[in-house]
Amino acid sequence: MSDSQLETFLARIYVDRAARAKFLADPHGEAIRAGLTPEQIESVVQIDREGLELFAASLERKKQGGK
Amino acid sequence: MRDRFGLGWRHKLALGILSHLDRIDIVEVIADDYFRAPHRERRALRTLAAQTPITLHGVTLGLASSVAVDAKRLDQMARLCEEVRPVSWSEHLAFVRGGGIEIGHLAAPPRSAATIEGAVGNLRRARAIVGVAPQVENVATLIEPAGSDRDEATWVSEIIRHSESDLLLDLHNLHANALNFNFDPVDYIERIPPERIGAIHLAGGRWVGLPNAQRLLDDHLHDVPDPVYQLLEEVGARVPHPLTVILERDGNFPPIEWLLDQLDRARSAVARGRARQRAEAA
Repeated sequence: MSDSQLETFLARIYVDRAARAKFLADPHGEAIRAGLTPEQIESVVQIDREGLELFAASLERKKQGGK
Repeated sequence: MRDRFGLGWRHKLALGILSHLDRIDIVEVIADDYFRAPHRERRALRTLAAQTPITLHGVTLGLASSVAVDAKRLDQMARLCEEVRPVSWSEHLAFVRGGGIEIGHLAAPPRSAATIEGAVGNLRRARAIVGVAPQVENVATLIEPAGSDRDEATWVSEIIRHSESDLLLDLHNLHANALNFNFDPVDYIERIPPERIGAIHLAGGRWVGLPNAQRLLDDHLHDVPDPVYQLLEEVGARVPHPLTVILERDGNFPPIEWLLDQLDRARSAVARGRARQRAEAA
């Protein structure tokens, strides 16, 4: 799989609340289903969950016109 | 050439900026705001450029990606540069979309060989189409990017080393990342070749998150905090050439005098750094 696949995966869980919830419930399974490489799977399974929630919340605020 | 200190152009600051061009050496304009702007707005930008040096700042190219940057977006930047003749242009070391999904903000990419290679290739494309290499800005991030196999200073340095692009060092982004991910911002500055630091951004932010797990968000809505001026002094002590320093403020606007005072504090910080540099050379 290409490196762009990881960027696509990250973009999706950053902006899509439902995709993020599915991922956080089953990180390994979602990463496999996204077709990531074993190294990429390992990296997203260990994702910075706190940072993910904060970043996603900041994106939602921005989308609503805030900062 | 001398150090230049300026403000980011925002409509709500326009009158204040135009009234104080004696205290503002340069204005930074968000390029993307003008890509599809009506003719009269582009004419107004040309008028501004005739009055004061301007630098164009891009926010949507997504150069730090393993995916090739869209040539149409680069064409838009090239046309705008041709039209307003900025002294420089810049973009972020960020990815902003993936697989057709627009993130809607600057996202720190995985710090890996793939994104270094992608960024260097994109910077080469940008240089070829626009005619001048952009300065590239380090971004603030609330999340440690997954898929990273090196630290930020290493990743940024490698992109700089393999491209013609100098660094637009955003000191609040650096300050925020250093606090959020526990590294030494002065060590970061020391690891960037000083001759490749071309410009500086200053801004402010606020803490977000739960009380026991807060992170600093770079929101451009608050004053520049003291540690950022200290970092600016460190840069001034190392960089041998004139710097362009831009204060970014996107909202919660104070009176223009308040912002001009922050520019004066930036001038003082650089001057202190320059004095240290001279003392060490003597």
